[in-house]
Amino acid sequence: MASVKLTNVKKIYDKNVVAVHDFNLEIHDKEFVVFVGPSGCGKSTTLRMIAGLEEISDGTIEIDGEVVNDLQPKDRNIAMVFQNYALYPHMTVYENIAFSLRLQKVPEDEIYDRVTRAAEILGITDYLMRKPRALSGGQRQRVAIGRAMVRDSKVFLMDEPLSNLDAKLRNQMRAEIILLRQKLDTTFVYVTHDQTEAMTLGDRIVIMKDGYIQQVGTPTEVFEMPKNLFVAGFIGAPQMNFIETELTVENGSYYVKPFGVKLPVDGEKGTALKAKQAKTGRITLGVRPEHITLTQAGANAIPCTLEVNEMMGSELHLHVYTEDGTRLVVRVPTVSLDAETRKGLVAGAKVHITFEGKVMHFFDPESTENLLN
Amino acid sequence: MNEKKKIRRHMGLRASSAISNSVIHVLLVIISIIWLIPFVCIVLQSFRLELSGPVGYVIPKKWGFDNYVALLGRSDFRQWYINTFIIALVNAALQTVIVLCMSYALSRFRFKMRGALMRLMMVLGLFPGMLTMIILYRVLKDLGLTEANAVPGLILVYVASSGMGYYVSKGFFDTIPKSLDEAARVDGATRMQVLFKIILPLAKPIVIYTILTAFMAPWGDYVFARYISFENPVGMNVAVGMYKWLTLDQISSNYTMFCAGGVIVAIPVTILFLCLQRYYVEGVTGGAVKG
Repeated sequence: MASVKLTNVKKIYDKNVVAVHDFNLEIHDKEFVVFVGPSGCGKSTTLRMIAGLEEISDGTIEIDGEVVNDLQPKDRNIAMVFQNYALYPHMTVYENIAFSLRLQKVPEDEIYDRVTRAAEILGITDYLMRKPRALSGGQRQRVAIGRAMVRDSKVFLMDEPLSNLDAKLRNQMRAEIILLRQKLDTTFVYVTHDQTEAMTLGDRIVIMKDGYIQQVGTPTEVFEMPKNLFVAGFIGAPQMNFIETELTVENGSYYVKPFGVKLPVDGEKGTALKAKQAKTGRITLGVRPEHITLTQAGANAIPCTLEVNEMMGSELHLHVYTEDGTRLVVRVPTVSLDAETRKGLVAGAKVHITFEGKVMHFFDPESTENLLN
Repeated sequence: MNEKKKIRRHMGLRASSAISNSVIHVLLVIISIIWLIPFVCIVLQSFRLELSGPVGYVIPKKWGFDNYVALLGRSDFRQWYINTFIIALVNAALQTVIVLCMSYALSRFRFKMRGALMRLMMVLGLFPGMLTMIILYRVLKDLGLTEANAVPGLILVYVASSGMGYYVSKGFFDTIPKSLDEAARVDGATRMQVLFKIILPLAKPIVIYTILTAFMAPWGDYVFARYISFENPVGMNVAVGMYKWLTLDQISSNYTMFCAGGVIVAIPVTILFLCLQRYYVEGVTGGAVKG
């Protein structure tokens, strides 16, 4: 159990390709931090720098208060789970899990106890004498976690551990990682490109793009108050709708005018804009699909044409386009619709949508920053 | 109708592929027989007792092990055999270590001039080794490693250039995921432990391939061995020593013994190959195809 502190960490590859720019982050003891971002954003590189598998070009990395810049991975007291499991194919599951303990010259009896205990927790006791090739993807992943678990390391690093699994198994393993975290009660750094994993697992999420940290915050913070357009678009599925519009103020109250329909910015957001004395003018308005509702024609209703209706089971994803051709996605819980309305939601149908002020996000179209930052 | 046509066409294809298969197999059998004839002749001649020179027939009239007994009774032959064995064994050990370390380093480490080094070695490898013979002889002579001391001299020659034969094993190592090295390093292994505990057990075919080729090269070498031993029987290997028995003045009395010597020379290599054939094929194809 330990804290991890990264100060001005940089990674520059040959030919001056900068993978990570001035990375500053303090991961607290027993915290579960998730690095998330698209491919090539530097999240795995940062994790590998913490592990000691990549040299850092500048800055310092501390684990439990000790600068580990020049320490070999084996001397950092970390454990790591790899994306492709990285199990030793010529060893049995038992030998795989025991490998690190044997290198530490732990007595054989203790190795047996620790391996069997880890196997029990992970439910792989029956496979201990098998070779990795005789295991399924999920079982291999458990062995990989077992191999990391058995070392009693200060920090647990996981590099996209679920991305090789199918969707069903991924959900199951995600829940198991949450349980494992409760059992191990140690510091976790987890890398993923899947925002759902990030949201469900992390105490805090670090969203990265092109080697820069975009935002660090709890899942609620990054969802409810995205710092910029990138974070707003990356977190949430389906992704947030963006509408180029005008922010106006009348009699001290803020309004937006998406597609010519004047909507008041009421509630908390209105208050916040007033407190910030936000500048009026062109903005990018963000609205999450789940915050848009179907409505009847009226003053606050935006007329749209339905293009595609995706039936997801508990909800419908309605892909609509407005009169000026802007495409939007609306997420509607099936339970909120009567049978007659659902029947009418076919391609080409005319629908009306609206949304409240409290669910709006306002971004500067130039800087892409949230106006309420 | 169409289905029937398809089936007929399929049957026709099957028949023609069966014919071409048979032709290929018959051809291969004929080639194998032609290829095996000299070896069979040598084995048969080695058991011939009636005459010790070359004769115009293959199957001996009188059979026996006398040639082998006489051969093994000769101290010069034993000396050549031991020389060859020492050279091949030491070379196999040293060359294997050097080649595997070199291949691992080139496969796993990224350092300045790595690409240039690999290209340089490839270009150097294109030159025939014979070109270096004269200068090598001079150097070895100055070091006192020729004639009676040809054995360490030859070992030096074979081992010195061994790092250049890294291609096949590097190709094989490249196919082993780097994440295994990384996992082992995180698990607490040093680079050396990663190589010996993780990579080499996974690269068994290529290790065996390397050992075999490193053993074989000096085992059958004639040109370098002849040059460096320079007619001194103490420093000769078995190929150079036995070749003397084929000169005009000796062939009539030593030909059958030469054949027996050939069989004895072939035995260790044949056993090695039979035992390790599976790995050898895996090593060659693994390195060449996947690399």
